[in-house]
Formats: sequence, C-alpha cells, structure tokens
Amino acid sequence: MSALLKLSPGLRAALITVLTGALCLALEPVAPWLVKWPADWTLPATEWVGAALEWLLGGIKPLARWFSGLLGYPMAWANAALTQTPWPLIIGITTAIGWYLGGLAMAALGFVGLSFVLTSGYWQESMNTLSLVAVSVPLALIIGGAIGILANEAPRIKPAVQGVLDVMQTVPTFAYLTPLLLLFGFGPVVGLIASAIYAAPPMARNVLLGLERVESEIKEAAVMSGGTRAQQLFLVEIPSASLQIMVGVNQCLMAALSMVIIAAVIGGNNDIGWEVLLQMRKANFGPALLAGLVIVVFAIVIDRMSGALATERKRYDPRVAYGILALAILAALLAARFLPGPPSWSLFDGAAQWVDDGLGAFNTEHGAKLTDFKNNTMFFAFLPLRIGLDDAVLPFTWGFQWTNAMSLWFFGVAGALAGVLWATGRPVAGLMLLIAAGVIETGVANLPWPFLFVALGALGWVSAGRNLAVMVVVLLSTILLSGLWEPAMLSLYLSGISVFACAIVGGLLGVLCAISPLAWRFIRPVCDMLQTIPLFVFLIPVLMFFQIGEFSAFLAICLYAIVPMIRYTRHGLANTPGDLVEAAVASGATPMQILRDVRAPYAAPTILLGLNQTILYAFAMLVIAALIGTTGLGQSVFLAIGQADVGLGISAGAAMAILALIADRLVQGLAEERRRALGL
Amino acid sequence: MSERPAIRVEGLWQVFGANATAALAAAKAQGGSRGDIAGRLLDQGLIPAVRDATFDVAPGELFVIMGLSGSGKSTLIRGISRLVEPTAGHVDIEGEDVLAASRKRMTELRRTRMGMVFQHFGLFPHMTVLDNVAFPLKVGGMGRKARHEKVMPIIEMVGLKGREAAFPRELSGGQRQRVGIARSLAGDCSVWFLDEPFSALDPLIRRQLQDEFLEIRQRLNTTIVFITHDITEALKLADRIAIMRDGVIVQIGTPTEIVLNPVDSYVREFSKDVAKGRHARVGSVMRSDAGDVGPDDPGLRSDMTLEAALASCMSLYEPVPVRDGDGKVVGMVHPGDLAKALQVEET
Amino acid sequence: MKLLNTVAALALMAGAAGAAEMGAVDEPIKLAINEWTGQHITTHVAGEMLKAAGYDVEYVTAGMMNQFQALADGEIAATLEIWSSNVSDEYAKQVAAGGVVELGDLGLAAREGIAYPAHVADLCPGLPAWEALKDCAQVFASAETIPMGRLVDYPADWGTPGADRMTGFALPFKAVPAGSEGALIAELRASTERKSPLLITFWQPHWAMSAYDVKFVELPVGNEECFTDPAWGPNPNAVNDCDFAPSRIFKGGWSGLEDKWPAAYEILSNYQLAVEDQQPMMGAIDVDGGTVEAVVGEWMAANEAKWKPVVDAATK
Repeated sequence: MSALLKLSPGLRAALITVLTGALCLALEPVAPWLVKWPADWTLPATEWVGAALEWLLGGIKPLARWFSGLLGYPMAWANAALTQTPWPLIIGITTAIGWYLGGLAMAALGFVGLSFVLTSGYWQESMNTLSLVAVSVPLALIIGGAIGILANEAPRIKPAVQGVLDVMQTVPTFAYLTPLLLLFGFGPVVGLIASAIYAAPPMARNVLLGLERVESEIKEAAVMSGGTRAQQLFLVEIPSASLQIMVGVNQCLMAALSMVIIAAVIGGNNDIGWEVLLQMRKANFGPALLAGLVIVVFAIVIDRMSGALATERKRYDPRVAYGILALAILAALLAARFLPGPPSWSLFDGAAQWVDDGLGAFNTEHGAKLTDFKNNTMFFAFLPLRIGLDDAVLPFTWGFQWTNAMSLWFFGVAGALAGVLWATGRPVAGLMLLIAAGVIETGVANLPWPFLFVALGALGWVSAGRNLAVMVVVLLSTILLSGLWEPAMLSLYLSGISVFACAIVGGLLGVLCAISPLAWRFIRPVCDMLQTIPLFVFLIPVLMFFQIGEFSAFLAICLYAIVPMIRYTRHGLANTPGDLVEAAVASGATPMQILRDVRAPYAAPTILLGLNQTILYAFAMLVIAALIGTTGLGQSVFLAIGQADVGLGISAGAAMAILALIADRLVQGLAEERRRALGL
Repeated sequence: MSERPAIRVEGLWQVFGANATAALAAAKAQGGSRGDIAGRLLDQGLIPAVRDATFDVAPGELFVIMGLSGSGKSTLIRGISRLVEPTAGHVDIEGEDVLAASRKRMTELRRTRMGMVFQHFGLFPHMTVLDNVAFPLKVGGMGRKARHEKVMPIIEMVGLKGREAAFPRELSGGQRQRVGIARSLAGDCSVWFLDEPFSALDPLIRRQLQDEFLEIRQRLNTTIVFITHDITEALKLADRIAIMRDGVIVQIGTPTEIVLNPVDSYVREFSKDVAKGRHARVGSVMRSDAGDVGPDDPGLRSDMTLEAALASCMSLYEPVPVRDGDGKVVGMVHPGDLAKALQVEET
Repeated sequence: MKLLNTVAALALMAGAAGAAEMGAVDEPIKLAINEWTGQHITTHVAGEMLKAAGYDVEYVTAGMMNQFQALADGEIAATLEIWSSNVSDEYAKQVAAGGVVELGDLGLAAREGIAYPAHVADLCPGLPAWEALKDCAQVFASAETIPMGRLVDYPADWGTPGADRMTGFALPFKAVPAGSEGALIAELRASTERKSPLLITFWQPHWAMSAYDVKFVELPVGNEECFTDPAWGPNPNAVNDCDFAPSRIFKGGWSGLEDKWPAAYEILSNYQLAVEDQQPMMGAIDVDGGTVEAVVGEWMAANEAKWKPVVDAATK
C-alpha cells in the first residue's frame, strides 16, 4: 500500500482503474449485476420526481398563468409591430442600422439578407419568429443580467449560481417543455420562456465576467469618489464592463434564436421553425433547407450586427442611415399603393426543388456506395466500440467468430505492449493502453458500472482533486439508482464516438488552419454557418444519405460539435506569443518542430477548452439527433413528451446534464492543470 | 507635534485568508513580538500583508511610504482609506475613528475629506475628462452645471484646459494621471492619498509631474500620504518617509535621517545608490556645541545640502560655524565630516 | 382505451340532438393545426363548415403531442384528427380530468400495418404474404441488426406495434424505432430512390402511400383474443400474431365548447370525412403543390351535399 502511495497520481489512478476493470471482468460471470444493474434495485426516482414536480407545478400554476398572461401583452405588441409594419420599412430599418453599426458591408448584409427572406416567401413566418425573439431576448437579458449582478454582489453564492447556469444550459429544452406547458399553458409563451431559460446563462456569465474584470483601481476610484454601492455599480462598473456585456447580449440573441426554433415543436405561432418541421416531416429536404436557410440568414444578420456592438466602437455617419430610412418610407408608400399586403413571392422554390431532385438523383446513383460506407464504419468501428469485440465480430461481418482464445490473445498482446511501454518509462501510457483494450473488448454499452465509477472518479481526482472525484461518483450513482443507466451508457457511447471523431478531425483541421491562412479563409465561413444553422437542419442531409440509425445521428452530432474543436485548436496554435516562436526559430527549429514542441504545448489548455465545448455541443445535439431515431437518453426525453411524463422527462434530461457536467468538469480540471503547469 | 495629528494609525494589521480576524486574535493572544505573531499566521497559510503599523501624520505633512513591491505599502494605504477592511488596529483621520464609521458615514467622509490617486489612474473609460473629474461631485448630488463650473479651475490647474471633452483612451499617460489628480481634488479633500501616482509614467514625464505636484501641494496645504517604490522620489518629495519591508514599517524619519542613519542593512541598501550630498543636510552632521571653530566662516546654514556645504568649504580644514535661518550660530561642523558623510559605502 | 370508448359513446348520444343556439359568435373558434397535411384538410373543411354556419374561425398551429393542455384550457376549441394509434397519454389524463371531451369518430377509415415500397416485392418474392418474411430476413439486414432483418418501426413515443408483430409472428427481424415521421418518410424515399429493401411500419391515409407506392404485408385478421390469448393465431406461443387492430380516428374538443358555441359543438360532433375525399385532396396539396385553402375551397364548392346537411341540422 505504501508503495502505491509513492506513485505519481496519474499512475496510481490508472493502476486502480486497471485493477477494477480486471476484477469486474473476472467476476462478471458470477455477478451479472456488475454489468446490468437489476431493475428491482433501482429507486422509482422518476416517479418521485414526477410526483414532486406535479405537486410543485400545481402550487405555482396560478402565478405562472398570470405571468404568461402578462407576457401575452408584449408578445402581441411585438407581433403587431413586426407584422403590421410594411416590409419595405423593416428592410429599410435593418439596412439603416447595419450602416450605422458597420458601414457599407453591414448595410448590404442586412439588405440582401432580408430581401432573401422576403423573396423566399417566408416573410410572415419570419416576423412571427422575430416577434418571439423580440420578447424572449429582453426577458433573458433581464434575468441573465440580474443573475450576473447578484453573483457579483454576493460572491458567496457564486459557485451555486455557476451550478444553476450550467444546469440551465445542459438540461435539454425538450426535457422541460412538458412541465412548461403544464405551467404556462399552450402557446408561444412556452417557447418564449424556454428560450429565455436557455438564453439567460450566457448573459449572466458575461455580465459576471465583465464586472469581475473591471480594473480594481476603477472600482476603487468609484469608492473613493464617495459613490454609494448602487452608484458604483450603475454609474461606473456596468458601463466599464459594457464591451463584455455586449458579448453576452450577442450570445444571448443567438441562443434565443436557436431555441425559439426548437420550441416551435409546441406550435401556436406559425413561425419559421414550424415551417422547417413541416417540411422535414415530409422529408422534403430542399424546402426544409430553404426554410432553414431563412433562419441562418436571420442568425447571421443578428450575430454580425450585435457583434459589432460588442467589438467596434466606430460608428458610421447617421445621415446616411436617415437617408436609407427615408427611401424605405417611400418604398413602403409605393408598396402600399401597388402591392397590398406582404407579397407571397417564392422565388427560391424552384431552386429548393432542384436541390431536392439533385439530392434524390445522387442518392439513386450512389446509394449503394453510401450504404457500404455506412455498413463498414458500423461493422469495424462503431459496433465493436458499443458492444465490444466479443459480440461484434461475427462471421457475417468480419468473416469469423470471436472466440475466448482470441480474447486471451488480444489481452496478451495488449499486456505485452503495455509492459514494453512501462519498461521504457511510460507506465501511464501502458496502463491506458490496457484500459483501451478492455473497453474495446467489452464495449462501452456493456461496461461494468463499478469500472466506470472508478475510472471517472480517478480521472476526476487526477484532474481536480478529491472534491471532483466525489462529485463524479455521487452524480453517476444517481443515474444508476434512477434506472437510467442503460440509456445513459448508450448516450455516452454515441456522444463519446462523436467527440472522439470531432477531436481528431477537428484537431487536424485546426492545425491545418493554423498553418495555412488560406485554409482558414475557406473553413471559417463553413464554421460560422454550422454554428448558426438551427440544429434541426443538420438532420436533413444525414437522414437523406444514411437514413435512420446511430450512424446518421453520429454525423449530425459531429457536424455541429466539430466547430469549437477547429476554432480553439487554430486559435491556440496561431496565437502562441511571438517571442516564443522567434526564440524557437532563432534556435534553428523547423516549422514542424515549432508546431510540435512550442506551439502545441503552449496551446494545450486552449485546445482542451475547445474539447470541452465540443463535448457540451455533442450533448446538446444528442436530443435533436433522437429525432433521427437513436436509443438512449434523447429517446427517453421524447418518450416523456409523448406520454406527458414529467418525471421521466426531467430525470432523463437531468441524467444528460449530469453526463455533460461530469465531462465538462473533468476536461476543465485538466485544462486548468495544464494552465497552471505553464504558469498562465 | 503638539497639535492633533491629521492621521493616526495604530497597531494596524491586514491579514488575508479565511477567518483572518479570529486567527489574528488567537495569534496575538499567544503573545510574543509582531514577528512571532506573523510567523504563526503564516504557518496557518494566512498572509499578514501589513503587520502592526503605527504612525502619525501631522496636518499639512507630506508623508511618504516607501517599499519594494510586495512590502505591503499599497495594502497599508488601502487599509487607511478603508478600501480593504483592516483586520485589527485603529485609524483616526482628523480625530474620527474611521474603522468604526458606518458605511454611510464612510461614503460621506470620502465625498468631503478624502481624495485618492491611483497608479494606473483608475479613470472611467466611458466618461469624458470633465465627467471623470466631476464624478465625485455627481455622486455627491451636485447639479450638472454647478459641478462643471466647480471643476473647471481644477482642470485648468492640472493643465488640461481644452481637453475636457476627450475620453481617457484619447489621452497620453501623463495626461491621464493629471485627470486622476484633478478628480481626487474635486471634492476639496483635506486628506490626500496617492498610490504610486507616477510609477506608470516614463522618467521625463514623471519628473515634470513631481514638480507640478509639489506646486499644487504648496497651494492646497492638504495632508498627504504618498506611496512610492522609488527612493529618489521619496527623498525629493517627502517631509517624512516610512520604509516598509514584509509588511513592517522598519524606519520612519526625515529624508536626511533615512539617508544618513539607516536603521538596518535593508534601509541602507536603499540609500546606497543615492547621491547623499544632494539629500542630507548640514544639520544632520554638525555638532551642536558651537565652541571650538576655526577662523573661517564660509556661511554654512543647517538646512544646506552636504554637497553645497562642501563646495563652500573645499579648501578649509578647521571646523566652521553653522547658522540657522536667522543667522544665529547653532553649531559647528568639520569639513572632513562633510566629506566622510558623502562616502559611498562598499558593502 | 376503454375510457375513450365510453366517452365516445356519450359524445355520440349528445351529438344526436337537433338545432342548437349559436352562442358566442363574436369570438373566434380556434381549431388546432397539427403537423400533417391530412389533418390540415380535415381541419379546414370543419373550419369552412363553421364559417358557413356563421362563426368566426381561427387556425392555430399546435404540436400533436402537446395540444391537449391547450384544449383543456380552452385556448384551442377543438382538434379534429386524433389517431388512437398514436395519441399521447396526456389526452387520457385530460379527459379524465374533465377538461377535454371526445367529439366522436371522424369516420376516416384508417389502416396501419407492416408495409414496404412496391419494388421490395422483387427482392423478397412471396410478398405480400407475411410468411415470405421468414426466409428473406437476410435481405433486410443492416449493420445495426445483423444477422436479423431490419424493421423500421414508429418513433418510440408512438408505441412499438411493429416490434410487437415481429415477436408475435416470431419473425427474425429487429425493430429499429424511427425518431420522427420525417425519418420514416426519409426511409421510404431513400429506399425508393435506391431500390433498396425496406420493411416499415406505416399507415394510411397518408400521402406517401401513393407517392412511394407503399404496399401492406398481409397479416391474418385478428380479433380481441389475438392480443390476449397466445394460443390464437399462427404462433401458438405469443400474442400479437395478427394484423393491427384498426385505428380509430376521432375528434376532441374543449369541455366548455358545448356551452359556449352549442351549434358549433353539434357541427363538429357530427362532422365526418371519408378517406376517398381526404386522400385526393392530400395528393393535390403534397404532390401537385396546391395550397390547403384553395384545395379545400374547391372541394367544398363541388361537394356541398356532403357537408351542408350537417351545418343545416345544427343551425336550422
């Protein structure tokens, strides 16, 4: 035991994990409960949650109804304002604001963007969506701002607030749609509140960050000037933090927009999200893509304009803006004279149909190849990972049957390699190899729960100490006890392979972009688009080519989750301090050597943060991907919606949030440790 | 020092860490020197940034606190102005116990009696020069027009006339600190805190602002606590200097005392590179028994710098008389002693 | 579903009454628009009938799964195409709580079953007889299901009737739940485009039945015993070894509907629509690209005999 204590923490953790794994493997035949948690050992937690929630919801329902009635007014006003205002005026106002904030380029973006919306024939639906955003965003800003200020004023509650914000962002919206419906009644109000819940955290985080980052001397100057606390806060600290707060406003807008689309599932508002859903239901990929693009256009216009608020201080000549407005009024008058009502042009239907037909033709021609590709990936990569080599290697697929002897050989080779690694001074790498071999042999979905508890707990201990290890184990046991272990493992497997693929492909693309500015110029707009497209739209092309199943879900998740990996990797590598690089060049290092030995270690914490974001994105997409047809927690969430089972919905959502939180904390712990090691 | 001090600091401790107050009380209860107490706190993982600071500042005095970074001088001034809450001790400003003042009273005191200048200026980025300077009056409830009228002469005094509408980001470093100085003066303070006000400026600007600062000081006659890490600046400006090391005030004295009679090697190390002849005065090396002087009288006065005195008696070998400002003989000095005092120590 | 039947019986009795008061004509009657075209047609026909009777009608988009709370709150007055095969449990809860009442059958003869696009018959000779599936499971196998065949089942929240049939008939198929209707259609479309094998749980009336030439597998027609008694049917060891129980398609309304708009309640309760009427309209919209309003308007003008009497009975 004392010898064990002398080892490095990483080695100790790996060793304990390997021992637990071996023990579980050995005991599995006599103790099947190590792998499959018996149903009668689970607590009826989902029912308890359901009962508690229904009781609680019943209690606050009158208040919530009153609140939703109250929200009805601003919504009606916003809707009236946006739908009654003549369309040339709205386009004109957007263009004028664009000019004022960002000059010609931004004005052109606003004009072309909204003209596209107009000519796509979705003007009415878009305005309905916007009116929802117009109410939910101020609500989210107020809530988020208040939370941020509160956390700043009472540092004691900051950790609790951070936890609440994490939960608000990681529990999938679908999980709480049903309780929201019960509470607030049917209609767009629910979508509005759901999107406000989701959009408030980025605002809160940025307000808090901004306030904390105000130079201490500025704060002290306000104190020494004799300002009361309120005066200090509102006259000095908040204005000083305005740039950071504007970043929060920008993120809040984007989050609200993406969530308003998701909340369209409830209906009641005839908005653009509903239109996407309607087209997707018919598998009309072209038209669905068109409706999705309308949302993308909105997202880009809103993102760029509010982004200009956060970064640029420069403003352009307001007289031009007034000129544009005057033109718009003129156009509105002319339009009112000659074109009664918003036009129902649909100039792009032909193009949408063409895309649709093109995709169909491609599918007809190359369908067999796509299927082969999918099958091979499934056979040789996904299935072994999910159910393990011992179940996945069958005569139908690999051409032979996996036998116990092969297992022995497999472990023997892995053990020998591990021994070599240990002997050459890399014991942790050796043990990791053994662990990986064990996981592949067993399959993620069949991993014994004690092994996972120990492995993740040990990882938590290594990355951030005892507290994290305890937290990980406690959270995992809530999933185990609530009987959601099996879907949770399937979710873990699906998001795991997605994150793994994103880390490798995204990391490589990030490296490429860091080396070659040309590549970045091509990849960057793609990243922008992938991040602004409503999540639903990702499902369209993958469903088209690969149909129902986890392979499609995997691709949809990757499309969305790969972006932060690319961005952060490039950012970390490209922003290595100049003097470090110069020192390396002066020492005679080649570009590859600089990349490997200077840039990569320096960028490690940033890249780890990118990985962290990728994990969170993957979990966010997991629920949406369930619309393709996956098993796992996402499916449980949808089941709960269908059955109006508040308990199951919230429990499955919570399990998802728990997995995301654990992954988040582990990676952040590692990133923090790297940063400390580098003295950053 | 018969009159009441403007600022009296007594037994001030500033300890950082969890439950600092209780830990300090416990450590004190065990007795021993301040070093022992600090040692106990350090053992518990607490940081005693200021250890038992005690000093008085006379009305109108310019009191400089000098020390290297990490010596606790900035913490000390923040304790006195109560920007941080001291862990133990007393601070009286113009007879009022500041640490006992309510939050409301403290705000009041800051509006009417205290002004502070910061190392990195602490200017509000979203306000013009005029609004920055008038800010203390604004929070005090003064109307827009009245406060603008009131601060215009101050802006003029610091040489920023014509730049009232500029934003801080449009100003140079020196100009920014002028704004900081003007703002700290807007409230008509009687106690003025300056926390390394010129450290962030380059040497030329620094000297220029030091001179202007001395001029302003002449006009205002406020009590000043001035923090610096620069011995030359301290010697140039100070009436008295307190030298800090590791949270402890190791010596308080006039510039001459500091230069000529350092209490320990730490203080000596500071004054080592200083051209002592320019800072030490004749009074510090003369003998007050005005007896056995030689025939020559080069006209030395007790407040002459050593350099000037030496220049006046280069060729003399006998002791010479020293007079005060009124011409009365107050003592004598041997020219050899003057030269000896100037000798640079080789340690 | 027994509860539903009782309620249905009650509703039918109520619907038998004669002319009724108009009620609050100045307030719009809100009808739910769900996610599929057939429902849009059903609802618009009903809406036009109400308008003909002198009511103001408003169409409100509402998710099929999530509409019942709104119905109970009176925020939606009626939803006109509820499928017993995939109604959310929320409906039963709201009916039990008294907020929602059933408004009787829509009269749309629906059929659900195990289906395949026509070209699959070439890949698995013997179809549509179900016995053929025993031998050609391999044809339908996919990466996820190998060595068994793959059956694309309804989304998990609609239930697992397809999987139940496979167990019932002991067919070597593994049911893979689709995530959504869109996913089902995507499967049909891809299979048709690639001429690849596909076995799917599907239903009619649905526009895709004709668009992708979908055929049902012939399963033995069952009765109640099939679902309770393993001995019944071709597989002596399992229940569910028969065709799907016919789905009921019915209408639901807010419990306050009858008091507020008595005549409208009567119209909606007696309103029926046949597959033969609905399916061509679906084609006109989904395949030929017409708008719901225009297509329904045309049908209303041409088929007055089919709906006018219901309106007249309630109002005159």
